[in-house]
Amino acid sequence: MSAGGRYRYLFSPLRVGSLTLANRIVFSAHLTNYATQSGMPSAQHAAYYEARAAGGAGMIITEEHSVHPTDWPYEKMIHAFRPEVVEGYRRITAAVHRHGVPILAQINHNGGQASSMYTRRPLWAPSPVPDPLFREVPKAVDQHEIDEIVRSYAAVAARCIEGGFDGVELQCSHSSIVRGFLSPATNHRTDGYGGGLVNRARLLHEIVAAVRHALGPAPVLGVRLCGDELIEGGTTIDEAVALAVAIEERGGVDYINTSIGVATASLYMIEASMHVPPGYATFIPSAIRAAVRLPVVGVGRFKDPLQAERALAEGHADLIGVVRGQIADPDFAVKARAGRTEDIRLCLSCNQECVGRMGLNRWLGCIENPDTGREAAPVGPPRPRAAVTLATGAHLTAAAAPDGTPHTTSGTTAPHLVVAGGGPAGLQAAVSGAQRGWRVTLLERQSQLGGQVRLAATVPNRAELGDLVRNLAGEARRRGVDIRLGVKATAERVEMLAPDAVIVATGAHPQRPWWAPPPDGGGERICDVVDVLTGAAHPTGSVVVIDDIGFHHATSVAELLADRGCQVEIVTKSMVVGQDLGITLDMESWWFRASAKGIVQTIDRVAMGYDAGTLTLLHHPTGANETRSPDWVVLAVPPRPADELYLSLAERAPGAEWLLHRIGDCLAPRRAHAAVVEGQRVVDEIARALPPSAPATSSGTLTPGTVSGPARSEIAAGAGR
Amino acid sequence: MNLLSPLDLRHHTARCRVLFGPHETNLGDGRAFSDRHVAYYRARAEGGAGIIVTEEASVHATDWPYERCPDAGLAGPGWAAIAAACRPTGTLVVAALGHSGGQGSSAYSQRELWAPSDEPEVNSREVPKVMEGADIDAVVAGFAQAAATAAGAGLDGVEVNAGQHSLIRQFLSGLTNRRGDGYGTDRVRLAREVLTAVRSALGPDPILGLRLSCDELAPWAGLTPELAADVARELAPLVDYLVVVRGSIFSVAETRPTGHHPEGVNLELAATIRQAVDGAVPVVAQGSIVEADQADEALAAGRCDAVEMTRAQIADPALVAKLRRRETPRPCVLCNQWCRVRDNRNPIVSCIADPRAGHETSDPAEPAGRPPGRDPAAGHPLPRPGLGDSAESGGPLLVVGAGPAGLEAARVAARLGLAVTVWEASPDVGGMARVVARAPGHHRFARLIGWLADDAVAYGVELVTGRSATDDEVAAWPGPVIVATGGRPAPPGFEVAPGAVVLTPEAVLAADDAARAELVPESVVIWDPLGGPIAVGVAEALAWTGRRITVCTPDPIVGTLLSLTGDLPGANVRLQQAGIAIERRVLLRRAAPGTATIEHRFSAERTELEAGAVIDCGHRLPAEGPGPDGGPARAHGPRPVRVGDAVAPRTVGDAIREGRAAALALAPAGRTVAAPAGVGAP
Repeated sequence: MSAGGRYRYLFSPLRVGSLTLANRIVFSAHLTNYATQSGMPSAQHAAYYEARAAGGAGMIITEEHSVHPTDWPYEKMIHAFRPEVVEGYRRITAAVHRHGVPILAQINHNGGQASSMYTRRPLWAPSPVPDPLFREVPKAVDQHEIDEIVRSYAAVAARCIEGGFDGVELQCSHSSIVRGFLSPATNHRTDGYGGGLVNRARLLHEIVAAVRHALGPAPVLGVRLCGDELIEGGTTIDEAVALAVAIEERGGVDYINTSIGVATASLYMIEASMHVPPGYATFIPSAIRAAVRLPVVGVGRFKDPLQAERALAEGHADLIGVVRGQIADPDFAVKARAGRTEDIRLCLSCNQECVGRMGLNRWLGCIENPDTGREAAPVGPPRPRAAVTLATGAHLTAAAAPDGTPHTTSGTTAPHLVVAGGGPAGLQAAVSGAQRGWRVTLLERQSQLGGQVRLAATVPNRAELGDLVRNLAGEARRRGVDIRLGVKATAERVEMLAPDAVIVATGAHPQRPWWAPPPDGGGERICDVVDVLTGAAHPTGSVVVIDDIGFHHATSVAELLADRGCQVEIVTKSMVVGQDLGITLDMESWWFRASAKGIVQTIDRVAMGYDAGTLTLLHHPTGANETRSPDWVVLAVPPRPADELYLSLAERAPGAEWLLHRIGDCLAPRRAHAAVVEGQRVVDEIARALPPSAPATSSGTLTPGTVSGPARSEIAAGAGR
Repeated sequence: MNLLSPLDLRHHTARCRVLFGPHETNLGDGRAFSDRHVAYYRARAEGGAGIIVTEEASVHATDWPYERCPDAGLAGPGWAAIAAACRPTGTLVVAALGHSGGQGSSAYSQRELWAPSDEPEVNSREVPKVMEGADIDAVVAGFAQAAATAAGAGLDGVEVNAGQHSLIRQFLSGLTNRRGDGYGTDRVRLAREVLTAVRSALGPDPILGLRLSCDELAPWAGLTPELAADVARELAPLVDYLVVVRGSIFSVAETRPTGHHPEGVNLELAATIRQAVDGAVPVVAQGSIVEADQADEALAAGRCDAVEMTRAQIADPALVAKLRRRETPRPCVLCNQWCRVRDNRNPIVSCIADPRAGHETSDPAEPAGRPPGRDPAAGHPLPRPGLGDSAESGGPLLVVGAGPAGLEAARVAARLGLAVTVWEASPDVGGMARVVARAPGHHRFARLIGWLADDAVAYGVELVTGRSATDDEVAAWPGPVIVATGGRPAPPGFEVAPGAVVLTPEAVLAADDAARAELVPESVVIWDPLGGPIAVGVAEALAWTGRRITVCTPDPIVGTLLSLTGDLPGANVRLQQAGIAIERRVLLRRAAPGTATIEHRFSAERTELEAGAVIDCGHRLPAEGPGPDGGPARAHGPRPVRVGDAVAPRTVGDAIREGRAAALALAPAGRTVAAPAGVGAP
């Protein structure tokens, strides 16, 4: 098979300015919150980007760096306007260049899309129009200030080259003072910088000229443009195309990157969740590419190589931004190139630990990759790195054999880990144990793996959540975990397996709140979300869904039932139904769908009783009582730990030869990320506790039992700073 | 007994009965105390505080409730530095220790929360792990270890948190403790074990305080004053002082309420507990105590033995010193805008009245100096224009506008010794802050305005009202000019049909009842695209008057930005109790005579609402003229400097900070701006 195998477009080189990229996969700019408290790049930045370079990305573009002290919208932003930033730049660029991958710095000023909380200075923007998110009236910049902005871009560009970057990208697309000037929605000026597109683009052209002058001829200069702001009176595709043409005509720019939406108004379409179809923004690079000769980058939920290959083949773009795909699996590119597409840990587009943590000022992670965000201080054993020579495109070498080779040959002294439960927690524990070279037996009561995630993936538009199970189960199988389905783990059965360590990951049981009678006590028309998804209950007619959890549970089942013809009302005691959908950027699309499906959302009501089909609700702000008489009540309420096996084993543990742990919902019912993180961490704890006389033996690059990393809290602190 | 009299605590004596309580600051260097912490506490120590309780430190790795929450394991050096900075001034320094239990966050630790039972946390909805026996032992040991560290660092003692955000309260409360073991049948057991272990770790000398929620405001299962009295009686022999607070998982905002709650909100509760413990332990009252008079009365009436005045000392670090000198401290306005910093963005604790708070290491101190002539407490001297050595700074200063920015600029410049004249176009000083003060819960903004004006006048500022400034006058002024002319309403962001009535919030608030009856019709739509305190304040000002009121917001919740002040739930409850209708997730499209048309953001459905008037609470624009930045050069002095809303309409705090900075920039060469001297000693 030729280099690139089934993806001949994706793995064909491309010249961008003075650079030749080995392939078309770009790790495009995105926030990480890895900067230090004082605004400097961290060791974590370098390790994070290096992992993606080692994983074969064609080009990396860092997160935005602020060019001017008036721009500090969120705490952990890199202060490129301070000369001492260069030291951190060199650490990043050296780490990435070690793998032969070019890296650009994205430089930016967020303008009015910001807060003065950190700067304690007025915001700068084209016009005194408050941003829809930050809602702070900015100062309209005067000519003197415009000149200062242009100079600061140039100075920072020069600093980036000094720091070893191969060039810079100007973010003019979704959160930028340049966007502010470009967009008729935020530029109300009457001087030479306002009015027609020529005037609104004047700042951009001035910055490009100044930056190119500062860079000199060789370094790459890219411009990222928004193809549709998705706001009233904002920029749309025709103007974006005209702007791209104007940029090309003026020269100095080597490529055009694209995006959609405004970060502070329509973010849910910039970092779209699984509810938005893949390729939703491809019309933008497609239209621009038809009008310019410069290479054009397309982005927007490209999550597998096949989809990226198709966009290239169809001529929509020259390069494809794969961000979340490489957050989830840094080896996205090498695996694709090696034809191991099935091995890629596919992004779910769940947004829970990447996008969802950014707005909360927390470091970037990944729901299914517990190493993301901790690259600088790995917790587990060294990851068996695929040894890839990018220059030659060689396939995975024997050094990576542990990836695919079980080493559970009998007669070794490898510890035996028994995992009870095949949901995300148990699967991750099994994978982590196998990664250390242990013998792992996983017992799952049901006939399928995946636990609650498998159920959650059956509702409308949530299927991609199921990739979490697919990825973990595939990894477990590749690593030789002995998976026994349909086997209920009992204390006796576990002991008979002669384990060295037992991890209980048996999940949770649905439970009824105090006010809900049991099925045989008048509550036969009350059921749990789980009952609806398993088919154990089949509500019809009018349904009230009680949302005590505030995530997808209530909204998903409401949608499912509405699609089946039910009249659905969701009731919550909170101020918002499905409150945390806002964190994952699912709230807007939920509201569009709920409005279309006629789902009623009722807030501020606490369920207080249910008698003979009548549900009593208390409107807690006023103390007023209300009733409903629905055909069914569906509960989206916290379950309780399924800790029977754990407790039964805990009784035997004191005299036993094995270590005992519990993880995931069995410890405390939470979300999938907690399960995955604990699955990995508990294996590290066991590795530290196992007697040194019985170390795991393994082949290849695994060095089990020898890693004693810092406590997780220290790592998190380091990563977050 | 009064506020300034000493208080014996175990083997120590507090020099006065004013406590600076523990609170989140986000000043940390990661989870360690920082130089900024040291400077922040030092300023309050030098200002005369009796007892300083440092920001609560977590005693166990399972507790990481906010990113910069101090970690007791890292706190030793910081505590030592704070002790070294503060104790020489005569203040006692005590370390707050705690564990947030189920009210913590798993976002930073990436591990499970610990709690007595599996009751989900009300706000995060996260289900905690039910603590096992070994977990409880580990937490008790963590408290003891932290106490030993604190004592070893040279602090005077520790304060254990059983208040609103605490694991110990979660064990004490039937709301959160449904255990069947000995920690459930005896819910005080954990508190007892912690206090006993802490005392043992401290040794006999250091102070051990307890912060106890004595009313969870959830009588169906929570701690009531009666139950709390029993708890307090039982624990009193183990501790050296008891701070009475209230609030729980259902009432997070109640511990540090805004001006919507009465001042001294917990004084009755403190009195109840003090009576119950019957002298066994001194009782500290807490809760919106910001006026020395109220504190003194409470002490005199025997409701408490000491008072916590935390926000009052954020607003004025020299509160006690000023009281000793019979000066009026800079007032806290109970707004919570900049001091309540439990926010993911990690804002640094500060104060809209004194923006230097929290920034002691970077911002210059207010210029010291005595007001000319006479004791300001005895009354205001007449304005004395031309008093200062203005020649040094290029002539007298003209400040145009007497809102917060202009007043702050004027009074600071006067303290620098400049001759200062203020021209205010309207008949009253205060600008928008004066208008805002007319909204319910915001009355203390008027006190701040009064204090700024009094201080300015006391330092010789000539304050002229009813006097506007033209461009020519500004150009001709023989010295520096600061333009603080505020803002103006922006044009409506919706269609206004002929004959439609569109009012500004300032017009509605500024009007007295009679004028309002004329101005505001029976039905109004309040349009709030910003989500701040203004629209809610206008709605509340009109509430209970028989008018039919609808507040329209593009957001899922009315007043979303109030989450920062803690007033979000309270505001929504007050509006609903007043029968005010709320339209969420809508855009105001059109105001017409008698009606307003809104459009739902997601269904695109349009609805016509009854509206005799629309009150447009949208953003404002900077005032035009006089003398904008970059304007024509003037014959004398530099170009005018704009400050506050005249630059970009923002908050009172921004205005004060910029007004002060503009004045300090006029400091005559050689005159250094240094920390005030000679304060703090009794």
